[in-house]
Amino acid sequence: MHMMTVKQRGVWAVLLWPCLLTMSVPLDCKEEQGSLSRCLSISQEKLLDRVIQHAELIYRVSEESCTLFEEMFIPFPLRLQRNQASYTCITKALPLPSSKSEIQQISDKWLLHSVLMLVQSWIEPLVYLQTTLDRYDDAPDLLLNKTKWVSDKLISLEQGVVVLIKKMLDEGALTTTYSEQGLFQYDVQPEMLESVMRDYTLLTCFKKDAHKMETFLKLLKCRQTDKYNCA
Amino acid sequence: MMKKVVAAVLLFLLLFFTPHAKATRYSPPGKPTLTRCRSPEKETFTCWWEPGSDGGLPTTYALYYRKENSDAVYECPDYHTAGENSCFFNKNDTSIWVNYNITVVATNTLGSTFSDPVDIDVVYIVKPNPPEKVTVAVMEDKDWPFLRVSWESPHKADTRSGWITLIYELRIKLEGEDEWEMHLAGQQKTFNIFSLRSGGTYHVQVRCKPDHGFWSEWSSTSYIKFPDYFHREKSMWILITVFSAFIFLILIWLLHMNTHSLKHCILPPVPGPKIKGFDKQLLKNGKSEEVFSALVVSDFPPTTSSNYEDLLVEYLEVYVPEEQELMLEENKDLHDSFLKSEVSTSDNDSGRGSCDSHTLLIDKCGEAKEEERQTDQEESPTETETQRHQKDWDEDPLTYAHEDMVSPDMSSGRVKTWPSVFSPLPQYSLSPLDQTRSLVMAKQHCLSDILFPPGSSSSYLTQPSTKEALGPSYRDFCLSNKPPHSLPVPQMQARKQLQSHSDVNISSIGRKQAPVGQQSSALQPTEYVEVQRVNEEDMVLLQPVMSDHGCVEGCPQTHQGENYSKVKGVTSDNMLLLQREVIEEEMDRFPCEDLETSGAERCYTSSIITTTQKPTGCNHTATPVLGEMALAASGYVDTATMSALPTY
Repeated sequence: MHMMTVKQRGVWAVLLWPCLLTMSVPLDCKEEQGSLSRCLSISQEKLLDRVIQHAELIYRVSEESCTLFEEMFIPFPLRLQRNQASYTCITKALPLPSSKSEIQQISDKWLLHSVLMLVQSWIEPLVYLQTTLDRYDDAPDLLLNKTKWVSDKLISLEQGVVVLIKKMLDEGALTTTYSEQGLFQYDVQPEMLESVMRDYTLLTCFKKDAHKMETFLKLLKCRQTDKYNCA
Repeated sequence: MMKKVVAAVLLFLLLFFTPHAKATRYSPPGKPTLTRCRSPEKETFTCWWEPGSDGGLPTTYALYYRKENSDAVYECPDYHTAGENSCFFNKNDTSIWVNYNITVVATNTLGSTFSDPVDIDVVYIVKPNPPEKVTVAVMEDKDWPFLRVSWESPHKADTRSGWITLIYELRIKLEGEDEWEMHLAGQQKTFNIFSLRSGGTYHVQVRCKPDHGFWSEWSSTSYIKFPDYFHREKSMWILITVFSAFIFLILIWLLHMNTHSLKHCILPPVPGPKIKGFDKQLLKNGKSEEVFSALVVSDFPPTTSSNYEDLLVEYLEVYVPEEQELMLEENKDLHDSFLKSEVSTSDNDSGRGSCDSHTLLIDKCGEAKEEERQTDQEESPTETETQRHQKDWDEDPLTYAHEDMVSPDMSSGRVKTWPSVFSPLPQYSLSPLDQTRSLVMAKQHCLSDILFPPGSSSSYLTQPSTKEALGPSYRDFCLSNKPPHSLPVPQMQARKQLQSHSDVNISSIGRKQAPVGQQSSALQPTEYVEVQRVNEEDMVLLQPVMSDHGCVEGCPQTHQGENYSKVKGVTSDNMLLLQREVIEEEMDRFPCEDLETSGAERCYTSSIITTTQKPTGCNHTATPVLGEMALAASGYVDTATMSALPTY
């Protein structure tokens, strides 16, 4: 039941991604630095809603992709336990809150920045994942499409978050700081099994981080509306 | 010394404990297993384990965990909140998106045993509490009420802030059934259920699940009784029932209307016996001898004369062509009904239109008539049926022939024939004949008209009247003119052709009657027309015979005035009741031809009232007039006296 719903929504999202792209265009008001009001962008609340929707969709599609990959390529003994998160993720070094109490203690700004960090750190690995998946012999098209979609959506999500930061925090752009830190290492082509396990790890980690993004953004939204009862 | 004491004590202790050790096998504890870890709201979580064998010794359990990215091992902070063999991690100790490596250790005096480690991430072990405050209400929506189920998220789960996102699912079933109907409600907290059975009691349950966790338990059952409502389907069924009942009634009615034809189809009527002389009543009485004796006909084998009678068929439809003049002759046989139509040929064309034309049989009939005339004349008025029928038929063959000839021409159905006006007007006689092409053989008795005896004062014209009024009574009218005899007398009347047309709507049922014998006789103006027997209520028109002598030419006009040719009825003594009639104009035959309706005055012969007939020529004429006269004149008139009424 849950899988079906997620799959349906994922398909729906895949179909609608051009709309999301077009929707994301007016968000780009970077060039006009001093004139935020001149941007024909949407209001902050709506923007935040859209960003949250993006994050939700990304999470669902990534969950489906992970399941697909796991079923196709991962033998049973190596599969993650149901309770288990993943192997070591690339983003473990990021200073992210890891409990609700911690999140309650950090500020909006830091929350947004956390999201941005996450998004930016995953853009490259997803592109890499796309290339590796193409090398698979029998990777289903659905999986490829989903991963492709996710990577595209992530870019638009990044744009949205940047605009949000600008709007909410009145900050300038600090866009490209995180992705250049080389979290991801491009190694020599590993062996097959290692490659598969690495991809599997990538996918599972990304799934978790997508959920983090979604949660942060939702908490942020709650703080916007009702500061005192939110986390 | 001390050492010895210590050793002794030790030994003593050892001895003391040894039996215990031997009695119960002590062993290190068995391996515990972590059964599950659950977090109800993604903020705290609990782990439960299953202890192994305790080895007979008191065993303690300890849970140790290690977070990812660190090697520090921590022990479970709370062993009691969650119950036995559990470890509760509160908010401060719970980290999300972090892998926990948890191990349980069982320890007893003999040793300790480690369980298998378990990796968990709190995010993935969330199993919320069931939804709370589930309410089910019936929403009235005109004729289509539905159920609205509403609930709230479990109070611990922080869905408001978005910390946890729950999706809901509910299920419903009718009381007494086993199958649940599942509905996914998404993230909404209300749900409408439609298409429920009216009057049923339903059980409703709700559960929830985070987008990355386990389904909660089902909430407690809510009961709702659906109200009774008049389902539209029922009304549709009622409509269908009424409609089919209606159609059924129509079918029954149609069936009833066509019962007769259906009966004929399914149960064709049994034809009755048509043996001449066969009496059903006798048969019913059961006296067979009488029955069979009745069959014996005295004149069997049939003589020539009776030949014709035998040839008589009950029903004969004779269509008299307009050109023909038919004379009806008496029907001998009472039982047989036949129509004798005598065709009188009139050589005199005066006053004759297309209506009037000679028939072939005129000549033939003439001979026969001659003989008959005189006898008939006398007899005719008083003749009863029997007498009538005893008219002999020399002319029979002719008449029959004529009849036969005529009959084919007759159209089926009733034929109106009326006796031709005989006496004074040749035309008169002609016209009706012309008009009436059809002869209908009376079922019962036909009146045979006989030529007027020359000089006979009475001529009777038998004309049925008001047949229609009386119903299709069959009458025979035979008018016979006996031109030869009457020639001398009725010369004033040129050929008078007696046209006997039976007014009677004699419908032939397919039985052909041998023509009674039509004698065509030249119409003589004053001729007696013998009146055949008439059924009751038949009207016989008798035309008084004019004192013909001087009436050669003026005779036609003599017709004006009263006409005793109408017979009101026949009494049981075989007495004719004649009626007076006044016929106005006899001259014109022509109008007769065209006339289908009244205007009948013109045609004498049309004294006959034709009712149901298709108008055949001039059949109907003078009906109104005659009618009046008929009504006016009533009473019994002796034909004998008729002759004494020349002035009429």
